[in-house]
Amino acid sequence: MLDPRTKLLLALACGTLVALTRKQGWLLGEWAVLVIAIVAMGQLKAYLRWLIMLIPMTLFFGGITWWTADRITGQAAALGLMAITTVFFVFFASIEPEDLGNSLVQSGLPFPVAFVMTAALQFVPVVSRKARAVVEAQQARGIVLKPGWRSLRNYPALLVPLLIQAFQTAESLAEAMEARGFGRSGRSFRKAYRMGGLDWLVIAGGWGLVVVLILYGVR
Amino acid sequence: MIDNAIITARNLSYRYRNEDPRPILDGIDLDITAGDYLLITGRSGSGKSTLCRIFNGLIPHFYGGVLEGDVFVDGLPIRQTSVAALFDRVAMAFQNPDTQLFCRSVEQEIVFGLESLGIERRAIEARLASAIEAVGIGALRQRAPQDLSGGEKHLVLIAALLALRPRVLVLDEPFANLDPGNVRRIRGLLRELHAGGCGIVVCEHRLSRAVPDATRMVVIHQGCIAADGDPHQILAHPDDTWGLEPPLATRLGAALGLNPLPRTIEDLRPISPRTDLIDGLSPPLPPKMVQPGLPPVLAVNHLSSRAAARAPLLKDIHLTLHPGECLAIVGSNGAGKTTLLRHLLGLQRPDKGSIRIDGHEIGKMPVSDVAKTVGLAFQNPDNQFFRFTVEQEIRVGPEAIGHLDAEWIAELMTLFQLTPYRSKAPYRLSGGEKKRVAFASALAARPKVLALDEPTAGQDFDFRRNLRTFLQRLQTRGQAIIIVTHDLTFAERTAGRWLLMAEGRLLADGRPDAIMADPALMSRAGLEATDRFLLKQWWQTGDHHA
Repeated sequence: MLDPRTKLLLALACGTLVALTRKQGWLLGEWAVLVIAIVAMGQLKAYLRWLIMLIPMTLFFGGITWWTADRITGQAAALGLMAITTVFFVFFASIEPEDLGNSLVQSGLPFPVAFVMTAALQFVPVVSRKARAVVEAQQARGIVLKPGWRSLRNYPALLVPLLIQAFQTAESLAEAMEARGFGRSGRSFRKAYRMGGLDWLVIAGGWGLVVVLILYGVR
Repeated sequence: MIDNAIITARNLSYRYRNEDPRPILDGIDLDITAGDYLLITGRSGSGKSTLCRIFNGLIPHFYGGVLEGDVFVDGLPIRQTSVAALFDRVAMAFQNPDTQLFCRSVEQEIVFGLESLGIERRAIEARLASAIEAVGIGALRQRAPQDLSGGEKHLVLIAALLALRPRVLVLDEPFANLDPGNVRRIRGLLRELHAGGCGIVVCEHRLSRAVPDATRMVVIHQGCIAADGDPHQILAHPDDTWGLEPPLATRLGAALGLNPLPRTIEDLRPISPRTDLIDGLSPPLPPKMVQPGLPPVLAVNHLSSRAAARAPLLKDIHLTLHPGECLAIVGSNGAGKTTLLRHLLGLQRPDKGSIRIDGHEIGKMPVSDVAKTVGLAFQNPDNQFFRFTVEQEIRVGPEAIGHLDAEWIAELMTLFQLTPYRSKAPYRLSGGEKKRVAFASALAARPKVLALDEPTAGQDFDFRRNLRTFLQRLQTRGQAIIIVTHDLTFAERTAGRWLLMAEGRLLADGRPDAIMADPALMSRAGLEATDRFLLKQWWQTGDHHA
């Protein structure tokens, strides 16, 4: 099994490759490889749900690029965005944020920085649950909060309670962490993270392949 | 200072801000030892939670403010000692477990504090295993804490604190939002910990859940210690201004002149029946206020619903509700009570069956239209506040559906005693005041049915008493009311009819006494009959010598 830091470095290598790819055929190929990886990981359903959210943003980004440059550049921009975000979908699906954070701490990253990174990832579903509760509480009073222009003027009914509660939750979370020794120095770790020979081999192979492709194919 | 005291406070005063007109705590002298099972009680806002936050140094280190006097934990002065140096001596759980569980698995949650202590791996594994075994949550090890039930979250939190091997465990309202089964489990666990030499401090309004186990009680009133001693002696003659509701056993024991005072109603079981006393001390069931001949305002016909995300199933629910009727939906956590409420408002749609409100089938009617006939107040009022004043907040619902009646809004402000707060920001109100604003908002569009989800959770005796009065007034005006609760003492005094639910099914629909008289049914629903009912039954049936 690969170390979380190896997976991070591989994700950065793939991200670099996608970011530097200009040919649409190559971009499609890279995306296809990633989708095959997603299917192999059994994450296709989650990926499709995530795509539904991503497609409007991709179309918007591609459309703006097309408008300011040309059609080919617009298509490449949209495909590139889709592929690069898919790289990080694969990465986050293959690691536990806590594993990544703790392994980075063992490499010298300060614990508070690593914790903020992992806590931020965990805060997203908390806020999403809160948002759902606020929408329901407002709907129960007859306040329509559906997507669209007609309910735009009602959006303060969602945003104000959500924002206030996000701050309150963050404050309570900080207090709870403090009460469990977050600020104490000399932290130990239940799990040890060691980079083995396979890790170094995969990193060298991954980055090597990326360099070769950048130099001889994708641009 | 007591020699073996772990926490010592001398002449302690505290203000959250320098400009606060009076301190939230004033002149507190207190010693807590590992032999104490201490119950701290008092009205909402009396300073109980503030005092607990001083015990582990969150005040003043996290909150700031102005702390005067001396506080020592294990001999360490808290002003000069960081929270990080105190957290394993005095471990603390706050009221809402949702904001205290921040890791991705139960194991990680327990390990977090151990890693903070910097102890080596083998010791971490050993403490993790022993905490999981002590609390009995082996099956939850790999689960995400956020996906657990309220009771399970409390247990995980206690395990995480227990692993630290603290000298004192402080729990702020550990029983709020829990059903009787989970309350019993946590009480048993705390008793075991106390017997094992860990000091226990519990802050709680609901005295009947905490008094039987406590060896000592402190009453905080207006920031000062009003009483400190044996719980039963204090509660035999409580001061009315403290706003406490002594457990039934204590009240009866005092009225009968028993010495020592009974700890639970079991202690009263062998004495001669005194039905006159029990009827006098616990008000009789509320009368039905239904006017004959009126059609039902709500009719649910054979409602069934498949499981949505995290929601339990509803299976063949059938009920009617008439104007002036107050119905309590009771059951343990996860029985489907709140899911049923959500269906009544159209927030979830059934797979089978129908719901008619005031003669109209709600079918696929938009929620905003259903909101004209059903007023629902959720458990957390903070989810709805977004206007600058209380009055604006109450008006916002009827304005949205074009149903504003200014006279009715003024009447609601009076009914819920909100007139003095009309220009105040809702977020600046106390928990109980916020709840009242939410109830008034739910009624603002003159709905045919008022539904309240866990209205008494975390609320003190004053609030519960006032709410009962508000609801009875509304009933006399012909308002149909549904209360979802596992506070059976409140439910039996407020609602003349109960709907008993378990696993999404309707187990019984009838008078509270008739439902509680069937122990098999109550056990199936994971509930326990109220003290009043049990004692009355023992005394009436002659089963008092058991």
